[in-house]
Amino acid sequence: MHQLAIRLLLSILILVTPNVFSHDGINHSLIGKSKADSQEQCVEPTEIMQKEHFVFLYHQRDKTVIKGVRTKNHSFANCIDCHVSYDEKGKAIPINSEGQFCQTCHVQTAVNIDCFSCHASVPRGRKSVAKITLENEHNFHITKLTNEIINHVGDYSGEK
Amino acid sequence: MKNKPTTSRRDFIVKSLTAISAVYFIPDIITKAESAKPLAQEVTSDTKWAMSIDVDKCAKGCTACVDACVEENGLYGFDRPETDSQWIRKLTIKNIKDDKIKVVPMLCQHCENPPCCDVCPTGASFRRVDGIVMVNQHTCIGCRYCMMACPFKARSFVHENLTEQVTNAPRGKGCVESCNFCANRIDHGISTTACEEACMKEGHNAISFGDLSDTKSRVNSALKKKDNRRLRSDLSLKQRVTYSGI
Amino acid sequence: MDKIVFRKFIIDSKTFWTMFFGLGFFILVGFLCSHYMETEGHYVTGMNNQIVWGLPHIFAVLLIVIASGVLNIASISSVFDKKLYKPLAPLSALLAMAFLISGLAILVLDLGRPDRLIVAMTTYNFKSIFAWNIFLYSGFAAVLGLYIWTMLDRNVNRFSRPAGIFAFTWRIILTTGTGSIFGFLISREAYGTAILAPLFIIMSLLYGTVVYYLILRTINYFQKTLVSEEIISNLRKLTILFLFANLYFLVLYHVTNLYIAKHQAFEKFILLDGGVYTFAFWFGQVIIGLILPIYFLLSDKKKSESSMIKSTFLILIGSFIAMYVIIIAGQAYPLKIFTNYEILESSFFDNVVHSYIPSIYEFGLGLGGIALSLIIVLVGVANLDFLPTIIKGHKPEDKTDSVSQ
Ligand code: HEC
Ligand code: HEC
Ligand code: HEC
Repeated sequence: MHQLAIRLLLSILILVTPNVFSHDGINHSLIGKSKADSQEQCVEPTEIMQKEHFVFLYHQRDKTVIKGVRTKNHSFANCIDCHVSYDEKGKAIPINSEGQFCQTCHVQTAVNIDCFSCHASVPRGRKSVAKITLENEHNFHITKLTNEIINHVGDYSGEK
Repeated sequence: MKNKPTTSRRDFIVKSLTAISAVYFIPDIITKAESAKPLAQEVTSDTKWAMSIDVDKCAKGCTACVDACVEENGLYGFDRPETDSQWIRKLTIKNIKDDKIKVVPMLCQHCENPPCCDVCPTGASFRRVDGIVMVNQHTCIGCRYCMMACPFKARSFVHENLTEQVTNAPRGKGCVESCNFCANRIDHGISTTACEEACMKEGHNAISFGDLSDTKSRVNSALKKKDNRRLRSDLSLKQRVTYSGI
Repeated sequence: MDKIVFRKFIIDSKTFWTMFFGLGFFILVGFLCSHYMETEGHYVTGMNNQIVWGLPHIFAVLLIVIASGVLNIASISSVFDKKLYKPLAPLSALLAMAFLISGLAILVLDLGRPDRLIVAMTTYNFKSIFAWNIFLYSGFAAVLGLYIWTMLDRNVNRFSRPAGIFAFTWRIILTTGTGSIFGFLISREAYGTAILAPLFIIMSLLYGTVVYYLILRTINYFQKTLVSEEIISNLRKLTILFLFANLYFLVLYHVTNLYIAKHQAFEKFILLDGGVYTFAFWFGQVIIGLILPIYFLLSDKKKSESSMIKSTFLILIGSFIAMYVIIIAGQAYPLKIFTNYEILESSFFDNVVHSYIPSIYEFGLGLGGIALSLIIVLVGVANLDFLPTIIKGHKPEDKTDSVSQ
């Protein structure tokens, strides 16, 4: 009972501060801004990020693809999740489109990146999922349910 | 993903709520995978991912594994079967001796001596130490030599600009791609690939995936139960995907 | 005593610019085609997940094979020390350079991501024969540059023989490498045999010789250079010799394939029931490319110019079809994945012989490549002293004189 109360409280907390915790990629209080807007700091000190963000990305890219390291801190998917902005309908705006986070500075400095020809420019699809195993039927059912729901919610986060 | 029915606002809020709670609470009530590697740890050769496919259990007309793969990796095609990517596909085969007809899923066989990696000029085609053969799409130049070398036609080339990629599976024009044993999933501690999960969900259990070093893994018990063989054994590629029942 | 000097190609500027812009137009078209294929993606081409290498590869491999073949003349002069050919060696090296560059250009422009060329140049997988070929090709260009320099610059002239021998060795290895690109593909029945390497060498000798002859004749049409009848008749003899050698190796290739159990089904396909591929093999590669030229060359007792020119064109058409048969038919034949089973249905065309209908873009790219090689030759001969001329009583066009001093 006690546990349940805490959970309930927690869930309310999650719902009122969705910027911090939102995992479905869409939330009404995010309209017109990104999760980063309500954060103090980037994953590294801002000055370092401004100058060296691509070093982190390149490093992470090889670590992830070749060695299977999946830390979140410098993950590309994570940058996008935090920095992507939402329009008035709560739809994510591609992070590389005009005026958006990954584009403005690059235009000024004439940097051209092709990352978004492959990487999704908005959070899309299933989130990198909770740790679960599928050894029994019961869990199966739950994952199935979760995935369905998440996918469904994903529909709203607005593709394209 | 297109043409979805409109859902009412209330409906939507309820669903988001469920989704959020699912993500937050389910991990607690489900036991964690014992062998899951910490996210920060590099993969090692102590893990040996493998798959066993029981052809006798594979159902005719069922495409659950293929659909799950499409869903997981965002492999939406353009209705151009000749150029659309297929990471896993179903074949209908007939025994030339007794005319028995069977269906088998075909996917990257994750060879221990992969011809694709031997021929790749830039080393973009590589074998991760845990046995997953995959393409590093950051160094792939799109020469397609690996596709010429693969005896199983397991690879596809992306022939057009894509826009609907999912976050977990980046992919794009001009590179070769293929099954990667859902590397992203298993690195996050999920012990099943999308295709195996789908096959189990359908109740067919034709696909068994797992770690060969883990004696209790599903693939090991499948290997114990039935004689497995490799395709094109004349090439001695030592595939990690094996078949029983053919 | 007569003296041979090397001169620029003297051509009136109107003809030069007409040719230049004519070829330039094709290069532009080729470039636009490749640009279109790259921005749209390869689905606009005839290539797909079944036929992964198409027309651009036919053009590119053919040009690279020719590149190594046109070096023949230079090789004969330096390796075998035949004075007769010496005046023609620089042109031969220039042609090799030109064809190599354009073959490579086509290959690169057909990549899925040509923008990552820098990756290809900086990260090598030394297990890959393809990576070795990148080395061999760029090395060949450097060796050729060196060789041309030793021939054209009097100060370093004495090094031209070792440079020539070096270039000769390099080109043999290079063509072996090109053949091995296919020879190493053990999984496909059409390839995966060591004979492909010598087959490619012998093809390069034939195609190179006739291309050289054709270019020489074209230049000759505008300007009398030093081409003695002896050389022409030697080129003719060489062509006949190489035709027979090609025929021999082709038979050898197919006979060995017939002996390898794994390759028998493919042999039946290509020789008997492969439809358009069987037709291309017999009618194109064998009859047009080998039998008819042999017939024309041998039946012409007068050894006239016209029979040689006719054969040259037939051989070049045949060379194109030969590449088609090797590259396309080899992929069109379905892979045999199962030993005891036959594939009935597949969404990925595992059970059918694939067809390949090239698009206009691939063709444009290929033609652009050929134009590129010709423009390099044109600009080369017009600006540098590649063409031999005899100084002898002010009668430079007298070509009956032998070269030897
Ligand atoms: C948890 C949310 C979060 C994540 C994840 C994140 N950032 Fe940031 N980032 C921020 C915030 C907040 C700022 C603004 C800091 C400030 O204003 O001082 C910022 C600032 C930056 C800046 C400097 C912008 C400017 O205008 O000065 C860059 C560049 C940047 N981030 C890149 C990245 C990259 C690349 C990644 C992925 C490796 C990433 N960020 C991940 C929250 C995040
Ligand atoms: C040709 C397609 C392609 C392009 C272009 C591309 N990537 Fe990737 N990237 C991939 C694939 C495929 C993966 C592997 C995803 C996985 O296994 O989770 C990946 C993974 C990554 C990862 C690790 C996963 C993560 O989310 O952190 C990083 C970091 C990354 N890429 C950065 C980049 C950057 C930076 C660029 C642009 C300079 C780029 N990529 C361009 C295809 C591409
Ligand atoms: C503060 C402005 C700024 C922001 C915001 C920013 N960048 Fe950059 N980025 C730069 C500058 C400046 C460079 C060039 C740095 C250099 O070459 O020294 C650069 C370079 C890069 C490069 C390397 C390009 C190359 O040619 O090597 C990558 C990759 C990159 N940025 C990715 C990103 C991504 C992804 C984002 C969005 C998450 C982002 N950047 C946001 C300013 C920014």
